[in-house]
Amino acid sequence: MAFTSDLDQITRAAAGDAAAVRALVNRYSPGVLALATRMLGETAEAEDVTQETFIRAWKALPGWEPRAKFSTWLHRVALNLCYDRLRKRREVLPDELPDRADVALGPQDALDQAQRVKAVEAAIARLPERQSAALTLCALQGHSQAEAADIMEISVEALESLLARARRTLRGELLDGRKVS
Amino acid sequence: MTRRMTDDRLLDIIEIWGAEAHGWPEAERAAAEALLAEKPGRFAPALAAARELDLMLGALPEPDMPRALTDAIIAAAPKPARGLLPRWGGMKAPWVPASGFAAAAFGLFMGLTIAPVASADDEVNAEVQELVISALGFEPANYTLEEME
Repeated sequence: MAFTSDLDQITRAAAGDAAAVRALVNRYSPGVLALATRMLGETAEAEDVTQETFIRAWKALPGWEPRAKFSTWLHRVALNLCYDRLRKRREVLPDELPDRADVALGPQDALDQAQRVKAVEAAIARLPERQSAALTLCALQGHSQAEAADIMEISVEALESLLARARRTLRGELLDGRKVS
Repeated sequence: MTRRMTDDRLLDIIEIWGAEAHGWPEAERAAAEALLAEKPGRFAPALAAARELDLMLGALPEPDMPRALTDAIIAAAPKPARGLLPRWGGMKAPWVPASGFAAAAFGLFMGLTIAPVASADDEVNAEVQELVISALGFEPANYTLEEME
């Protein structure tokens, strides 16, 4: 069971066991990086967030109490770091957000796969941050309803509302060729 | 979350969670699948629309985890506490302290053995030695205590 295994590895990692540290990093860092990349849409910043997330985890390990799953805690820290960066971006560059209409795609557009991937990534990056987080956690990373709600510290109903709006927006932009408010 | 499964709820589930049943909320999955099996035509358009978006999302690549980032994260991880160091932690080898003890013991032994030791008793002994040699009719300057022994 992953939870028990986590506890064992957390205990050993807190004592400086290199193998346990490496196991935690290998298991969770790709997911944290993927979340940050989807949220921020920028590789270098996503890597910074991933590193900062684990630095906070290492500091928290000695006093770790298993009230939450380690993975939930990690993703929550990463998500909050992403929110912070997105807020700072908005403060610094309020007029440089991309225009929705610039990259809206219609079904008639002949796109190759790479273009389509870029369009989807751009559309996700333009979603409001909480919608983007809900979509990334559930649709892209496969977190369960309860896990994603726990990570985002919201109710399951609120999560579903965010997901519904996110998917409706993406469908409108990417498949219907129309803007969705 | 337990809800009664209705057509509207299943349409919501498809819109929110996509077309694949394995991604639906676990508590509602069985009821949703049963309703879907009961009325497949009713939900086919919603499933088709959801599947199209699922495919686009599923095609997004996962970012690669750079080796340098992994290394940096691991380098910042907790290190073993001093008490958990190996038995001879901090020392080059076990014979290093042992050789110090051996050298000190050897030095002490040699010192006691060959170094001249002066004391008040030595002066008394020399006087006694001189008297004895004189009483025997010899010249003290020609004899030492060692020779007498």
